[in-house]
Amino acid sequence: MTALTSPVAKPPRSARTRQRRLSSQAVWSLSLVTLVIAAFIFYNQILPNLADSVAGPVSRWAPITAINECLIYVIMALGLNVVVGYAGLLDLGYVAFWAIGSYVGAYLMSDFIFQLKDGIHIGSSTTVRTLPGIHLSFWAVLAIGAAVCALFGILIGFPTLRLRGDYLAIVTLGFGEIIPQFFTNGDRIGGLNLTNGTRGITPVDPINTGYLSNILGLPRTVGLSPASLPYKFLFFSVLAAICVFVSLRIRGGRLGRSWLAIREDELAANMMGVPLVKAKLSAYAVGAIFGGLGGVAYAEHVGGALADSFKYSNSIFVLIMVVLGGMGNVWGVITGAFVLAWINNTGLQEFGNTFNGWFGTHVEIPSYNFLIFGTLLVLMMLFRREGLLPERRTQQILREPARTEMESVGSDVEAGQASEGDEEPEQSPEPARAAP
Amino acid sequence: MRVRSFLVVGLAVSIAATSAAACKSSGSKKTGASKNLVIATDLPLQGSNKDTSDATNKLIQLYLDQVGGKAGDYKITLKPYDDSTAATGSWDPATCTKNANAHVANKNEIAVMGTYNSGCAKLEVPILNAAPMLMISDANTNPGLTKKWNPGEPDKYYPSGKRNYARVVTTDDFQGSAAADFASQDLKLKNCYVVNDNSTYGQGVATAFVTQAQKDGITVLGNDAWDSKAPNYTALFTKIKAKNPDCLYIGGTYDLNGGQLVKDKFNVLGDNSKVKMLGPDGFTGYPDLDKQPESQGMYVTFAGLASEQLQKQGGAGGKLLDAYKAKYGAAPVGNYPLYGVAAVQVLLAAIAKSDGTRQGVISQVLGGSGVSLAADQCVLGKEIHVDAMSGDVNAKDISVLLEKNHQQGFLKAQSVQ
Repeated sequence: MTALTSPVAKPPRSARTRQRRLSSQAVWSLSLVTLVIAAFIFYNQILPNLADSVAGPVSRWAPITAINECLIYVIMALGLNVVVGYAGLLDLGYVAFWAIGSYVGAYLMSDFIFQLKDGIHIGSSTTVRTLPGIHLSFWAVLAIGAAVCALFGILIGFPTLRLRGDYLAIVTLGFGEIIPQFFTNGDRIGGLNLTNGTRGITPVDPINTGYLSNILGLPRTVGLSPASLPYKFLFFSVLAAICVFVSLRIRGGRLGRSWLAIREDELAANMMGVPLVKAKLSAYAVGAIFGGLGGVAYAEHVGGALADSFKYSNSIFVLIMVVLGGMGNVWGVITGAFVLAWINNTGLQEFGNTFNGWFGTHVEIPSYNFLIFGTLLVLMMLFRREGLLPERRTQQILREPARTEMESVGSDVEAGQASEGDEEPEQSPEPARAAP
Repeated sequence: MRVRSFLVVGLAVSIAATSAAACKSSGSKKTGASKNLVIATDLPLQGSNKDTSDATNKLIQLYLDQVGGKAGDYKITLKPYDDSTAATGSWDPATCTKNANAHVANKNEIAVMGTYNSGCAKLEVPILNAAPMLMISDANTNPGLTKKWNPGEPDKYYPSGKRNYARVVTTDDFQGSAAADFASQDLKLKNCYVVNDNSTYGQGVATAFVTQAQKDGITVLGNDAWDSKAPNYTALFTKIKAKNPDCLYIGGTYDLNGGQLVKDKFNVLGDNSKVKMLGPDGFTGYPDLDKQPESQGMYVTFAGLASEQLQKQGGAGGKLLDAYKAKYGAAPVGNYPLYGVAAVQVLLAAIAKSDGTRQGVISQVLGGSGVSLAADQCVLGKEIHVDAMSGDVNAKDISVLLEKNHQQGFLKAQSVQ
């Protein structure tokens, strides 16, 4: 037994640390909410009225579309964090859920199924009322996308139940390849055009705000016009906030603690009575739900679902976000996702432009992005394996002296050492009690 | 302490934001006098289209310098955008969406020259439509952007119900059918096998070829997709060989593993004198293809006139190409750069006549009688007219090029019905 799964070794949690834990989360949430509101006001009200000399650099370095894309990556990274960070199941095919979510969004919010001449319109925006095809409300599609992805999450989870480590990674990798391939080649399956192939499904409907527009004074249709981008930012932020809330609450609960137990020692967790099948499938399902939400949001963000945009590199990119940010720590993952997504879509390019402007060179900085990410990753693994904002538990495990060495001297000193090392693990009340 | 500093940062940002609101600037107001206007280009500057796109930007800049950077009373500057990412090495949907929003947000930008890829245009046009802002493309050959093609096209790209898109190249349907006519009339071929790269573009030209070939009395033995990720195509060509075709039409782009495809065709079906190989403009402008010994003898169509031919004709296009060669020491890569300039010429003509607003430019190009360029001014060496209703160009030129001595030389101009 390691120290971390044995409640006996720990002193009872004091009231002070409990309060501290709450306040840390509250401060993070409050400052992020403040940031979101400030950013919304800034992009919606202030930026359009600023002089070009100020607005120019802002819209170059932090255009609202790039911020929206970052938010989608945040949702994705939070989803993968549940699977990889919490449950410790290495998933190299996360892009599959992204693709499924996007395509569900595109099927249900476009004229792709044109055979329905009059169309099915439920809560769709007035601008698309006359179009054929299925047009559902964006909010309903989010729920459907999440449900479909949850189903696929479980389907993908089943065959991987008996696998661990590398073998699990390989199977998930397979799924991550198969599903985008299906969308790429699905335009003539038995003579049916199921996915429109590489042409993709474009465009998708704008968001109909419906009753919200009466209450909150939002525009009735949030679609393609640049004025609606700040509203999309707001909606995506709400989605991300829901994911954060779920991630945090689920982690402290019975399910979350069983995931942590599985992550740290699957065999021990099983012996203690953690239901492996249920816990693992739930991890896949919850991760997939986030992926589905992000996928639908991505379809709305890009304006369509295109098979080419779901590549293996996306899975890896999201995984890097989780690892660099700090596996298992929600705030770390958010930071990692936001920073890396921004570097990828705007930062490097603008840095390159500025650099070339200063020195009169023609270096294409963005084409070195994988070199830069790779170097970053290697450096992180050497000097800060636990990520930018590490989860305390992970940090403790990584800082713990090698186990074999201590076992070799025949002593059971781990417990003392570990609890001495750092503060008590945050956000994790005794995982071993997860056993029923 | 760390926790508190986050709160401080959050507060600081919100205070900064609100204080910025207070000092609202008057910069957004514009006077009508001689304005500075920006024309954006939106091209894939990374990956395999890099050379062509770079040359397009340079050639347009050169042209603007030659005309003094002016259109009527307006000063014109060029702003290149990149719609590709290094990671994908080709156009990227999210980047296209991002660019479209940037075009609209950048108030000085009057119109967009681009995009190179039809798929990218299909994402950008609806966004620009809401602004509204004109996009005029030098290279989008997919018919669906301007005419009825797949279900819902083209209306679904124009949510406001008004057009904001035009182009100066001929569409794929003409290119595919011109290739079929060339195959039956000039090469006297009887049995053709068609492969496509499964992309919007590739399927478009392949379908057009099949339709016209059947009309011309060519037996189409099959139309298969090639998988761009496959390591080789020996199996595909072995299957094709069994059908004994005398021609192979490749509908697609060289980007999608075209090099391997051409190589395996050579190895299995034999060289291009035995089984003739024809391709669309997706196989033009690639130095790598020209170098391949297997590509020699391949016929390629180009939706327009080849730069080489335009240079021979002299005129505005020839002079511009000469100036380019004098400045950069080499001719621009591919045939599209001149079309980029033609698109800019249409834009400049429209801007000169307009009131200097985005809507004004759209009204000039897609309203009234449309924009015409006289033969002596147009870099394409002939009079072109952009139809005000559809945004399509009247010049439906298809050139047939022959790959010989490691370059694609002009063979003949193929008429289009």
